[in-house]
Amino acid sequence: MIKCVIWDLDNTLFDGVFLESPDQPPPPNPRLAGLLSELASRGILQAIASRNPPEAGEHAERVTGHAFAATQCGWGAKSAAIRAIMAELGLTADSVAFVDDDPMERAEVSFSLPDVLVLAPDDVTAAASWPQFSPAVVTDEARRRGELYRQRQVRQEEARAFGGSRDEFLRHSGTRVTIRPATPGDLPRLHELSVRTHQFNSAGTAISEAELVSLLGSPTRQVVAVRLADRFADDGLVGGCVLATGQSWQVPLLMMSCRALGRGVIDAFLIWICRAAQGAGAAQVALPCLISPRNVPLRIALTGAGFRVGMTKQDAAADPAASRTAVYVRDLTQPLPDLPSWVQR
Amino acid sequence: MITDLAGEIRQLLAELTGDSRPLDAPLDTPLLRDGIGLDSLGGTVLLTEIERRYGVDIACEDLNLDCLASIGTLADYVAARLAAP
Repeated sequence: MIKCVIWDLDNTLFDGVFLESPDQPPPPNPRLAGLLSELASRGILQAIASRNPPEAGEHAERVTGHAFAATQCGWGAKSAAIRAIMAELGLTADSVAFVDDDPMERAEVSFSLPDVLVLAPDDVTAAASWPQFSPAVVTDEARRRGELYRQRQVRQEEARAFGGSRDEFLRHSGTRVTIRPATPGDLPRLHELSVRTHQFNSAGTAISEAELVSLLGSPTRQVVAVRLADRFADDGLVGGCVLATGQSWQVPLLMMSCRALGRGVIDAFLIWICRAAQGAGAAQVALPCLISPRNVPLRIALTGAGFRVGMTKQDAAADPAASRTAVYVRDLTQPLPDLPSWVQR
Repeated sequence: MITDLAGEIRQLLAELTGDSRPLDAPLDTPLLRDGIGLDSLGGTVLLTEIERRYGVDIACEDLNLDCLASIGTLADYVAARLAAP
């Protein structure tokens, strides 16, 4: 699924070259500007990578009327600009498309970042109807995605200027994490998260709305929804999990949007799950997790929260199928940290 | 060998955090949270960079990520993997 389209400006999003017409900067290409709005309305982020001064990015915002989620204007390689955008927005290469009229630039990006979908301007109309540009569900959170990433830029700038620790900044920002049982209205967004999340996804397969509906009615299962807000933005529903309760709690699915990255949410959520299980008298929490290079952030959070792989490495080597999923176990007889003060139940 | 690697890892941490304090941090400084202060994203960038520089895919090999305990455990792990035939 494509989450972000990164546009070149000169002779791509602009009909003309920005620096060649200082008195009358170029107008937008109407066809591509229209496609940009259409893709943005599907919840796909829009960004700029241009060999131009920063004023070109500001001009692009004025003439398209679109607030871009990230802008890289400069003279370095386009692949470096794309890497910077991916880092800023928390995206992986296979969720990014890049549009440029210059075949040399396209070749450079294809070579350096083979997972990025590289398109010529003529290809974009057709590509917009491809499935990877057409999310089945477009939730309110998805439509507001571009706006939320802008608020995230403001937050990041303030965090850089803030002298204290991360926890102090989270408090200073008025961070509120709300963790509650999911309601039927949460299910479309939870389904969407199961499709879109990779860095914080334990299962690696999507869960349908119908499956979620049946879980809501089950006496032995719980579906939990996590919301995040601070004084910069209300990010809405950013994560969730499915719990199978009993003497040992199982977590068949845990997922979190990358927009919650670096804001203490995953750590707080893991503590919440463990404390809930402990409060219900369970001895441990077991969380099967796909071993993939893409969900390393989740696995770091798990080990940081005291989860250990219940199977030895030798077992994994002996059984290649088992090595694809490891069961992370948190022993609840060990002391649990307190919930951070910004978590509301 | 290990001392050099620890120095290289300190340099890398300083680059990742944009802070010079890791340069003279003791070997037993934790990498996550209270120590160097990496979160799950920072830890991921570190592991990616270790794989790129040394060809050691820690995320795939050390599922418990024990080597992220401190600067020293990470240097020892990479050194042991580089010394293995």
